[in-house]
Amino acid sequence: MDFLINWLANIPSFATPFALAALGLIICEKSGILNLGAEGYMLISAMAGAGAMLTFGQHPFLALAVAALAAAALSLIFGFLVIVLRVNQVISGLTIIFFAQGTSQLISTIQGWTNESFTGLGTMRFGPLSDIPAIGKIVFQQDLIVYLAIALFFVTNWVLNSTNIGLRLRSVGENPEAADAAGVSIGLYRFGAVIAGGLLMGLAGGYLSVVVSKIWVDGMSGGRGWIAIALVIFARWRPFVALGGAVLFGCIEALIPRMAASGWELPQYFVLMLPYAVTLAVMVWTSLSGRAGSGQPGALGQPFVREERR
Amino acid sequence: MLDTVDIPRSRARRGLIDRFNLEIREHMPLEQQLLVVIGGVVVGLAISSLLLVAAGVSLPDVYDEFVVEIFTNPRNISSVLDYASPLVVVGLSAAMAFKARFWNIGIEGQLIFGGIGATVVANYDIGPPFLRLALMAVFAILFGMAWMALPLFLKLKLQINEIISTLLMNYIAFDFLLHLLYGPWKDPASGFPNSKLYDGFEQLPMLGWQDLNLAAVFALVLVAGFAWLLGVSRFGFLLRFVHSNPRMARAMGVRIGVFTLVAALASAGLAGFGGFVISAGIAGRLTQSFFVGYGFSGILIGFLARNNPVGVVLFSLLISILMVAGQSLQVFYQIPFAMVQLMQAIIVICVAASEFFIRHRLRFVA
Repeated sequence: MDFLINWLANIPSFATPFALAALGLIICEKSGILNLGAEGYMLISAMAGAGAMLTFGQHPFLALAVAALAAAALSLIFGFLVIVLRVNQVISGLTIIFFAQGTSQLISTIQGWTNESFTGLGTMRFGPLSDIPAIGKIVFQQDLIVYLAIALFFVTNWVLNSTNIGLRLRSVGENPEAADAAGVSIGLYRFGAVIAGGLLMGLAGGYLSVVVSKIWVDGMSGGRGWIAIALVIFARWRPFVALGGAVLFGCIEALIPRMAASGWELPQYFVLMLPYAVTLAVMVWTSLSGRAGSGQPGALGQPFVREERR
Repeated sequence: MLDTVDIPRSRARRGLIDRFNLEIREHMPLEQQLLVVIGGVVVGLAISSLLLVAAGVSLPDVYDEFVVEIFTNPRNISSVLDYASPLVVVGLSAAMAFKARFWNIGIEGQLIFGGIGATVVANYDIGPPFLRLALMAVFAILFGMAWMALPLFLKLKLQINEIISTLLMNYIAFDFLLHLLYGPWKDPASGFPNSKLYDGFEQLPMLGWQDLNLAAVFALVLVAGFAWLLGVSRFGFLLRFVHSNPRMARAMGVRIGVFTLVAALASAGLAGFGGFVISAGIAGRLTQSFFVGYGFSGILIGFLARNNPVGVVLFSLLISILMVAGQSLQVFYQIPFAMVQLMQAIIVICVAASEFFIRHRLRFVA
C-alpha cells in the first residue's frame, strides 16, 4: 500500500515536464512549425533556472520565469531561422539542440553553476485536506506548478478550439495560403506560436532543475524533449490526450527506480523502450484505421513563401 | 474617382520596411553561390572565436589552437583525418537519403545497429580471422539496413512520416544498446558496460603514418562512389530528377517509391558502415557512447554540403578540426567540449542565413 501511494504521489512531478513541453509543442505545431528542438529549450531553461536560483537566492518563481524567458529567447532564434529565413525546420530544430547543448554547458561552466545544489521549490499544503490519508498525499501535496500545468491545459485547449485567435492559428497551420488570403498574418501567428511554445517548454525545463532535482547537471533533460515530441504524435495534437500520455510516461518513469529499489528483477531497458514502441504503434493504428492526418496540421513542416506558388 | 484617391494614399503610407521587397532569385552563378557559403562559414567561425575570447581564451591562443596546432602538428593532422572519416560516411548517408527527399533522422539508431552488427561478428568469432573485418563490415551494413526496414515499410505502405518513425527508432536502438552492454555483452574482464576489446585483426589496420587508419581510405572510396552514382549513373540522373521535381517525375512515369526504397536503404547501410568504422577504428570495442555526436552531425553536414560529396568531405574536415581543437581547449582552458556543438550550430545558422540570399533578393522600391 505504501509502495502504491508513494508511487502515485510521485507521478505528477515526473509527468509535469512532459506535459508542459508537449503542450508547448502542440501550440507550435498547430501553427505549422515542426519543432524538433524541444530538448534544446529544456536544457537552456533548466540551466537558466538553476543559475537564477544560485544568483538571486531563494526565489523559485523568479527562477522559473527566468527559465521560461531563456527558452523564449532561444525560440526567437528558431523563429528567425524557420519563419524569416525559411530554413528547413528539421535542420533548424537540430541546430537549436546543438546550440542549447553548447551554450548551457559553456555558461554553467564559466559561472560555476554545474553540480551546485540549492533549495528549490517545495510542495504546497492545503491545511487539513493535505492530511487526508492516501488522497491527501497524492492530490493535495504537490507543488504549485503541477496545479498550474493542469490549468494551462484548460486555457490552451479553450484558446485553440473556442477563440478566434485559436481558429486563425489553426488555419495558419492547416492551409497558410487560404489564411493569408483571408488576411491573417502568417508570420505573426507563427512567431507567436513559436514563442508561446518556447515559454512552455522553458517552464518544463525550469521545472526539471528548480523543482525536481534542485541542481543543474550537464545534459540533464536526458531525452525528455524527444519524448515530448513523441507524445504530441501519440496524442495526435490534442492537448488533453497529451496530458494523459504525459501521465502515462510519468507512471513508467516513476516506476522504474521504485521497482529497482524494491529488488524486482525486470528488463528495465525494454520497459524504457515501451513509450517509443507504443507511439510507433499508435502511428500505425491511426494510419490503418483511416484516420491518418486527422490530427496532423496540414502544413506541418512547410515554410510559407507568398511569392512562390506551390 | 475612388481609385485615383486610393492609390497615392496607400503609397504615402508605405513605411521604410515595406519599401524592401523580397523576391525569389531564379539563379545565381555557381562561383557566386560558393563565395556566399564560404562567407557564411567565415562569419560563423568569427562569431565562435569571439565567444571563445569571451570565455577567457585570448585571440592569439584561439589562432594557435585552431590553425597552428592543427596544421603543423602531424599527430593532430592524423586525428583530424581519423575523426573526419566517420563524419564523411554519416554525411554521405544523410545526403543520400535527402537526395530522395527522405528525411532519415534515424542515422543515430542505424549507427548503433551497425556497431552492434560488427560486434556480433567480433564477439562470437564468426568466420576465419582473415575474413573477420570484411564480415564485420557486411554485418554492420546489413544491421543498419535492418533498422531502417520498419520506418521504410511504414513510409511506403502506410505513408507514415519518416521523420518521426526514424527518430523513435533511435531511442529503441539506444535502449537496446544499453541492454546489451549492461547485460550479456558486459566486459567480463573489467565489469564496465562496454563490449570486450576486439582482437587485433578485428580493428581497422593502421596506414603507417601517425595514427591514421584504414577508415580514411574507405571514406575516400565512398565519396568517389557516391559522386559516380549521383553524377554519372542513370540511377543518379533519375534521382536528381525526383529530387528537383517529384511531381513531374511521377507524371513522367518514374516510380518514386523505388528511388525512396533504394536511397533510404543505401543511407541506412552507409550509417551502419559508419558504426563499424567508429567502433573498429576508434574505440576498438562497443561503448555506450560511441555514436554520440555523429548521427546529428551527419545530418547537419548533409545540409551544409547541400548533398554534394565534395562538400561533405570539406565540412566533415571542418567539424573534425573543431573536434580536435575542442579537445585541447577542454584540457588546457577548461572550455567544455560542448563548445564544439555550439560552434557547429553557429556555422549552420550563418550558412543558412547566407543561403537565404542565394535564393532571395532584397530590392528597394522607391
